[in-house]
Amino acid sequence: MCAQATQRVEARAPAAEAKSYVEQYYDALRDGRFLAHKCRKCGRYTFPPTTCCEHCGSWDFEAAYLSGRGMLLYASHGIAPPPHPRFAGIAPYVYGQIMLDEGVAVQAIVRGVEATPQALRAIFERGPLPVNACVMSMTDLPVLAFELA
Amino acid sequence: MRNRLSEKVAIAGVGCTRFGNMLEAPELKGKSIQEIAADAAREALEDAHITAQDIDAVYVGNAMVHSSQTPATQTQIAKWIGAQFKAGMHFEAQCSTTNVGAALAAQAIASGVYDRVLVIGVETTRTRVKGYSPYEREAIPAQQTWLWTDMAVNQAYSVPQGYDIFSTYNGLLALGYCRKYGISVDDFDRGMFELCRTRRLHGSMNPKANEQETLEQVATRYGFDDAWEFWRSPENPFCAWPSRVRSLVTTADGASAMVLARAGDAKAMNPQPVELKGFGICHSDLPWYTDDPTFWKFDKIATDQAFAMAGITAADLDYVHTHDCSHISGICTAEMMGYLEAGKGLQAACEGRLRFDGDRPMSTHGGRHAFGHAWAASAGSDTYEAVLQMRGKAGKRQMPKRPEIAAIHTHGYAMVGTTIVLGAM
Repeated sequence: MCAQATQRVEARAPAAEAKSYVEQYYDALRDGRFLAHKCRKCGRYTFPPTTCCEHCGSWDFEAAYLSGRGMLLYASHGIAPPPHPRFAGIAPYVYGQIMLDEGVAVQAIVRGVEATPQALRAIFERGPLPVNACVMSMTDLPVLAFELA
Repeated sequence: MRNRLSEKVAIAGVGCTRFGNMLEAPELKGKSIQEIAADAAREALEDAHITAQDIDAVYVGNAMVHSSQTPATQTQIAKWIGAQFKAGMHFEAQCSTTNVGAALAAQAIASGVYDRVLVIGVETTRTRVKGYSPYEREAIPAQQTWLWTDMAVNQAYSVPQGYDIFSTYNGLLALGYCRKYGISVDDFDRGMFELCRTRRLHGSMNPKANEQETLEQVATRYGFDDAWEFWRSPENPFCAWPSRVRSLVTTADGASAMVLARAGDAKAMNPQPVELKGFGICHSDLPWYTDDPTFWKFDKIATDQAFAMAGITAADLDYVHTHDCSHISGICTAEMMGYLEAGKGLQAACEGRLRFDGDRPMSTHGGRHAFGHAWAASAGSDTYEAVLQMRGKAGKRQMPKRPEIAAIHTHGYAMVGTTIVLGAM
């Protein structure tokens, strides 16, 4: 979990019926795991998971969990109030471009860095910087985020 | 794919409303969305010296059903322009809508199915209908506009997890550009200032622009003698460091339209038709880039296809508009296209080369910041401007030498990279 996570994830009863890949992703995230699909044809990852390998179009894949380790290449911020009400309590927040060790590009919230020109300039001048994935627990949804390693 | 039109297609008529706020702009105030769509259509039809009775199909594009509260289907608009009992469709490709419509029309015409197609784009991003009233309108809060707009973006994972257009389209891209080309953040800021100054200069010379004040006039209105000092002040805050709010789109209500036909037919209708020489369309979900935020693969594919279909190279281009919801994104696209030297786009802006009278003129209508952005109508406004320039009818902002070849690039959020190539006939 993120060090700065301030909101609690509500407990959920396990569903008996089949789940969409979307729900499987968020369920895994709630447990601190980063669910992807690994293509059995080309070996590349589709993250977050979809119904098909986004790289080669193959429908033959298996579930895989990414390490969550990567490099923060760039970090900027958004506006407050934010477009999406889910993030009203934390805006303006830092948002970054991350390359995971598995070669997957991810854009996500970055925790532990202030959304100020001074803090972001320091990150830019020091970067790229190693980061680890974490989970922000919003009231209605776990959200992928990253923290400096 | 063969990537060619089997017959030459041309734009015989263009129309575009003032872009602005339907509660304030005199040219729009008091009108309904049906009426502004009809205004653009009428101008295009009269430019082609025909009525809607003379066309075969009407393609109407609109992206924001939430604000227009009419999906702007051709069935609803046709009655307002005299085009009942025609073929047609409602379509959208977000902010590429109207130019994707031109490509669809060209395909229909070159295939021999239709002779003449009317394409209309209409959008309101500043105002919406009030309650259940069929004619009263009210302002839309900015974050509401973006929430609705973001419905075009990855709804399974990106938007639910805090996707942010401001950083993704501006700040991250800006930092990638600075690092790639060794440009300091402070020099970047100066370049963006000069680029905004150019776009606002163009808007000040365009009676249809959303923003018609120069940047200097805005600074004076805020009590600053020096526009550069104003630029760096809290009155122009960072929306996504190091990008500031005046490097972004301004929202607008508006409509645009064009009449397309076989080249010979277009020439018979209008003495100054403009050939649609080529187009390329390529889409991508997020992320739009990986480790190099300045390179967007789908834009490269779309542009390569358009140039190949048109049989041109970047050296042939006399005028370019690239999608500039984010000014730095527009520079990156122009550099990818080969119109500007890689890493030198901001320097070109500082040297005045991107002005209407410069040697690399861009976005002479004012672009998304000054002309404004009415999502599904905007690509048509870009084409409208290019056609005016090619005809020598762009008024105060007319390029000294009429362009023979022009390229218009748009981003249909998020994303439909679209490039069209226009040629004088």
